[in-house]
Amino acid sequence: MRFLPALALYLSAAPALAGVGEVTDDHIFPGYTAFAAATETLTETARGDCTAGALRPAYQDAFDAWMGVSHLRLGPVETDGRILAISFWPDSRNLTESSLRRLIAEQDGVVDTPGAYGEVSIAARGLMALDRLLYDDTLAGYGADSYTCRLVTAITADLDAMADAVLAEWQQGYADTLRSAGDPENTTFLSQREAAQALFTVLTTALEFDADQRIGRPMGTFERPRPTRAEAWRSGRSLRNVELSLVALRDLALKLSQDEPAQTLAAFDDALAAARDLDDPVFAGVEDPGSRFKIEILQQKIRAAKGAVTLEIGAGLGVSAGFNSADGD
Amino acid sequence: MTTRRALLASFVAASAVPRLGWADAGNPAYIAAAREPDGTFALFGLSETGADVFRIPLPDRGHAATAHPSAPEIVAFARRPGTFALVIDGVGGRVIRQLDAPPGRHFYGHGAFLGGGDILCTTENEIDTGEGRIGLWLRREGYRRIGEVASGGIGPHDMKLLADGRTLVVANGGIRTHPDRGREKLNLDTMRPNLTYLDATDGILEQVELAPDLHQCSIRHLALGQGGQVAFAMQCQGDPNEAQPLLGLHRRGEAPVLCEADLGEQVAMQGYAGSIAFDGAAERVAITSPRGGRVHVFDREGSFRAVHLRADVCGIGAAVGGFVATDGLGGVLSLTAHGATPLARAARAWDNHLILV
Repeated sequence: MRFLPALALYLSAAPALAGVGEVTDDHIFPGYTAFAAATETLTETARGDCTAGALRPAYQDAFDAWMGVSHLRLGPVETDGRILAISFWPDSRNLTESSLRRLIAEQDGVVDTPGAYGEVSIAARGLMALDRLLYDDTLAGYGADSYTCRLVTAITADLDAMADAVLAEWQQGYADTLRSAGDPENTTFLSQREAAQALFTVLTTALEFDADQRIGRPMGTFERPRPTRAEAWRSGRSLRNVELSLVALRDLALKLSQDEPAQTLAAFDDALAAARDLDDPVFAGVEDPGSRFKIEILQQKIRAAKGAVTLEIGAGLGVSAGFNSADGD
Repeated sequence: MTTRRALLASFVAASAVPRLGWADAGNPAYIAAAREPDGTFALFGLSETGADVFRIPLPDRGHAATAHPSAPEIVAFARRPGTFALVIDGVGGRVIRQLDAPPGRHFYGHGAFLGGGDILCTTENEIDTGEGRIGLWLRREGYRRIGEVASGGIGPHDMKLLADGRTLVVANGGIRTHPDRGREKLNLDTMRPNLTYLDATDGILEQVELAPDLHQCSIRHLALGQGGQVAFAMQCQGDPNEAQPLLGLHRRGEAPVLCEADLGEQVAMQGYAGSIAFDGAAERVAITSPRGGRVHVFDREGSFRAVHLRADVCGIGAAVGGFVATDGLGGVLSLTAHGATPLARAARAWDNHLILV
């Protein structure tokens, strides 16, 4: 008998909580754990051999792992500019290039002080800095005793430290903040609906980012396509990032829903099939009308997935796009 | 049927010396529009701690409002391109007059009182030419339209009265719209926003334009500090990841100071500041970004001081020791040097602006 009130409370609170708890335990924790492990391997590899050829496989693995969590624009990555320090993109002002070239030209000693690299401009940190240094023809030929090799080593260590810090902060506080939404002492999420809204916004924002930025930037306009605006094209990851993002977002959608979101999963599968059919790893085809059409189809299918998420999952959670963010003035 | 309150209110409206004060309206500290859970809209008076003081139904989505300096009277503006504004009696909670934009004009959503509250000014679009106008309405004659002056640009949005009691500062957002095309932006390639100082007799006194590379940053909302300091908040069109400045500080006769946070935070604002306010001491100025889910706080010299994270946050106003902010989730938050703490939460979506009474 004495458990009944607690059970009743649990049941009445269940709809929003069930989704949130599943998301933290089965989506967020495994994702950040894998990312922290991959950045550790990357850092250890760099300590052994920091040349580009030696590091590329571990870089690719770390970027793969990042795609499992890159959409989680809430909590620990929102402080100290971490989300952009991990992956500085889009870079419309070409800041990564100018920041790295300045460091190299000045042989800046910041790379030799453990922990100091976190003070450098976020444009010169993280995965997109490595994309340049490991794959740009004019930069990647550096030798084992060069400044660039020390620079690369410092970037990997800084990235690993961020991955560890983000995972630790999720485990030691932010997951509880999300799960205790609506408790009187919770000043971040004032109701369970707010936590559900936050995760729903993560999902829809990430789908918009895939369609509008990851695909939209290289597409440019029909008259002026911009293939070199594709994400991480130097390391050949532009399409792969879209595909891995969709895999991660499909998983988030599934765990956030109460019931199996059939239309949403079908829309994701449709978009994933289009991504897998596309034989164009860096969206170079945006310049050719025929292959451009296929990229546009992928973009439309991602937007369709966002529509399904809004109708099916948003309605199920009783949430929608932000009142002010969706329509400003 | 005419109530005693309505009679009193009409008497007050016709009198040069107001008899009823804000105390009779429950002394709201703030006014804000909201969408209710059933999809209808209302205007609320809020206490300093975010509690409801009054609720007045609105026929449509509101944008901003302006409070009379002494009488408990509020002018609430429809969301642009609205053609009506409502004069609301804060005591009776009733609409006492509807102002209709003259033919060929629509309101942009903000207004200000001058002449000690005798004249209401409204930002307007002259639809045929797209030129901005400031409409003038005489309160003591039942808000009769008495004239208009040029705003000094396209798309005038927010407007404030300086401490001299006669100079208006206007944010000409620069974006041309036409009611036939809804809220579509018609001149993004050529837009040239400005900050204009003017008065009703001499017209334009001073104009400030930013560098050409910032021409797509629409100067939109204003807050007044001390000693004639004007803070302006911007909304940049184009790529939201370009990290343009969203806050400027200006004093007449000086060059504007543009203010930026560190790069990661600046990008996170997504090129959009929705509202702006100075704190209670006029030491700090804050801008909100509902798209970035954050509030940026700067000091009055323009240095970045703090960030507060909150989803869909937009309305902001001065409070003792800091700010009060409102959001689309129904939250009312206190923002101080110690962080953000919730004051109140209601099942409604607070709209863009929180107006200090």
